[in-house]
Amino acid sequence: MSANTIIEAHNLTVLYGRKPALWNVDFTLPEKEVIGIMGPNGSGKSTLLKSIMGVVQPTSGFTKVYDQELDTVRDRVSYVPQRQDIDWDFPASVWDVVSMGRFQKRGLFKKLTTEDKDIISESLEKANMLGFAKRQISQLSGGQQQRVFLARAIAQQGDLFLMDEPFAGVDIATEEMIVSLLKEMKDEGKTLVIVHHDLHTAQSYFDHLVLLNTRLVACGPTKDVFTDKFLTDTYGGKLTTIAKISQELENKEFPIRHK
Amino acid sequence: MNVWEHITTFFSVENYTLFVVSIGSGILCLAAGVVGTFTYLRKRALIGDVISHSVLPGVAIAFILTGVKNPLYFLLGAIISGLISIWIVDYVQTKSKLKPDSILALTLSVFFGIGVVLLTKIQHSGNAAQSGLDSFLFGKAASMSMLDVQLFSAIAIINVICIALFLRSFSIISFDENYAKGLGFNVRLIKGFLALLTVVTVAIGVQAVGVVLMAALLITPASGARFLTNSIRRMLIYSGIFGFASGIIGVFISYSGTGMPTGPWIVIVLSAFTLSAILLGKQRGVFARMKVRQNNHVKINNENVLKDIYKLADKGLKTITTKELIDKEKHQPKKLKSTLARLEKLDYVDLVRGMVILSDKGRIAAREVIRKHRLWEIYLSKYFQLDADHLHDDAEGIEHIITPEIEKYLIKLLERPETDPHQSEIPY
Repeated sequence: MSANTIIEAHNLTVLYGRKPALWNVDFTLPEKEVIGIMGPNGSGKSTLLKSIMGVVQPTSGFTKVYDQELDTVRDRVSYVPQRQDIDWDFPASVWDVVSMGRFQKRGLFKKLTTEDKDIISESLEKANMLGFAKRQISQLSGGQQQRVFLARAIAQQGDLFLMDEPFAGVDIATEEMIVSLLKEMKDEGKTLVIVHHDLHTAQSYFDHLVLLNTRLVACGPTKDVFTDKFLTDTYGGKLTTIAKISQELENKEFPIRHK
Repeated sequence: MNVWEHITTFFSVENYTLFVVSIGSGILCLAAGVVGTFTYLRKRALIGDVISHSVLPGVAIAFILTGVKNPLYFLLGAIISGLISIWIVDYVQTKSKLKPDSILALTLSVFFGIGVVLLTKIQHSGNAAQSGLDSFLFGKAASMSMLDVQLFSAIAIINVICIALFLRSFSIISFDENYAKGLGFNVRLIKGFLALLTVVTVAIGVQAVGVVLMAALLITPASGARFLTNSIRRMLIYSGIFGFASGIIGVFISYSGTGMPTGPWIVIVLSAFTLSAILLGKQRGVFARMKVRQNNHVKINNENVLKDIYKLADKGLKTITTKELIDKEKHQPKKLKSTLARLEKLDYVDLVRGMVILSDKGRIAAREVIRKHRLWEIYLSKYFQLDADHLHDDAEGIEHIITPEIEKYLIKLLERPETDPHQSEIPY
C-alpha cells in the first residue's frame, strides 16, 4: 500500500444469508480526491460503504482506514447514509439532526457547548440550510433533506466523507450546490467517497472510480477506468452470470467457499 | 352522592389507600407513555403486544417455582420471559425469511398459549394461594396492595429517570440507527437497554391492567402526543401527562361506580385524550387541517371574484354592478354577496348601492392572480407540448397556489414573457 492510501479493502466479502453482496473485493483508494463508487442496482455499493463504516460486519476479509482499524480513526470519518432509509416524519428540527454530528465529540451525555453550536451553524451555512434551522424535517423537500445530511456530516469535522447516493432524487439546484461544495471540500484537502449511479456525470464529478458488480470490476483514475470495456463488464452481459451464481447460492444453500 | 362529594371523598386522608392506588396507577401509566414514545417512533407498536402477552408464562412459572404470590417474583418472571420473547423476535428476523408481522403474531400466540396452559394447570392444582392469578389477563388495579403500588411506583420512577438520562441515545437510534453505528456508538447495547426498560414497564403494567390492555398504555399516549408537537422532548412530556392523568382519572371512575373495572377505564380515558389530540392538534390535528382547507377555499373565492371584477371592469378602471358579475361571470348570488362583503372588509373593493369599485389594493391583487395564471399557461405550453385550449383549466387551479418564490422562478425561467399563449398581455 502506498503512502497516500486512505482506504484499503482486502478480500472483503459480505453475505446476506447465503447471497453475496460483496465478493472478494480488493482495492486501495487515494486520499484528497473525489472518488465515485458505481455499479448497477444491487451491486453492493451501499454495502461497501456500510462495511467500511462498520455498520455491517464483513463475513470475511477486512477494510482499513488510514492503515488502521476504523475504531482508532473514527473521528476523522463522516458518514452520510442514504436519505431514503430514514423516516423523515420523525419529530425533529433541522437543527436537531445536524447537531447529531457533534455527538461523536461530546458523547451521548454531555451538553453541546457554544463551540459546538457555532460549528452547527457554520455547517448549516455551508449546506445553504441556515435559514431552515428551525424547520421540521418532515416539511423538507428531497434536496433539502440531502443538504441536512451533508451539514450533519460536515459538523463532524472529519477528513474523509463517505456518502451514500447524495445525488439520488434531488433537484438540479441541490445537485449543483452539492457539486460546488464537494469541490470546496476537496480543495480543503478532504477525501470524498461517493456512491453514485448516473453515468453521464461520472467523468466530470470524479477523479477516481470504483466499478462494482458484487465483485470488483475496476478501480483507478477515472480516465483509465471509465472505458467501454469496463463499463460493459460492470453493467452489461457479465452481470447476469454473477447474478445467476448468486441466485444458485441462495436457492440451493451452497456455501460460498469450502474449508 | 354527587360528583363533588365523590372527588372530596376520593382525595380525603381516610381514603389513603385509594389515593395511593390512583397515584401509583398514574405513575405507572406515565412510565408506559414515556417508554412507549420510543416504541411508537421506532414503528414497533406491535412489539408492545408481543411483550405483554409473553410475560404470562414467566408469571406462571414464577408461581409454580415459589408457590407464593409475591409481586417481586412475578415481576422477575415476567421480565425474563418478556426479554426472551423480544430476543426471539429479533433472532428469527435476522435468520429467516418470515415477514416481521408473521414473526410478531407467532411469538405472541405461542407465548400466550403457553401462559394460559400453565395458568389453567395452576388453577386446577388446588393451591389455595393461586386465586386471583387470572387477574393478569384483565388487570386488577383496584385490588392492588400498598406494597404492589410502592414497588411499581419506585420502578416506574427509575424508568423515567433512565429515559431522561438516555434521551440522546434513544433518539439517535430511533431516528437513524446506521448513522449512530457509523459514529461508533454501541447501538446493540442502547437497543438492549431500551428493550429492558420497555419490558420492565410492561411487566409492571400487566399486573395493573392485564396483558390485553397493556399495549394500549404503551402506544396510545405517544400516538396522541405526536399530533400536538414536533419536538421529541415535548412529545415525551405530553405522553407522560396523558398517561398520568388517565391513570388517576381511570381509578377514580372505577372507584365511583360499583364493580367498575379499573384497567379498561384507564384505557378508555387514555383513548379519549388521544382522540382529542388527533382532533385538536394545532398543526397536524383534524380540525387544524379542516381550517387550512377552509382558508384555501376562501382564498380561491376571493381571488376568483377579484379577477372577474378586474376583467369585467376593463382592468378595474370602470365601475360595474353586482348584477353584471352574476349575469356575465355566472357567480352564485349568495356566495358572491358574502365574498364581496369579505373583500370590502379587506379593502379590496368598495360597495356602493349595488356597484363594485376595485380599490388600488384590489387592482394589484387581481393583476397578481392573472399574472400567475398566464405565467403558468406559458410554462405548460413551453415544456409540455399542450394545446392552447388545454391550458386554461389547469391554470385556473394553479394560479392560487403559486407562491412569490415560484413566481419569481417562473419569470426568470421564461425570461419575463410579454404575452401568454392566447396573446393576452401579462400584467407585471
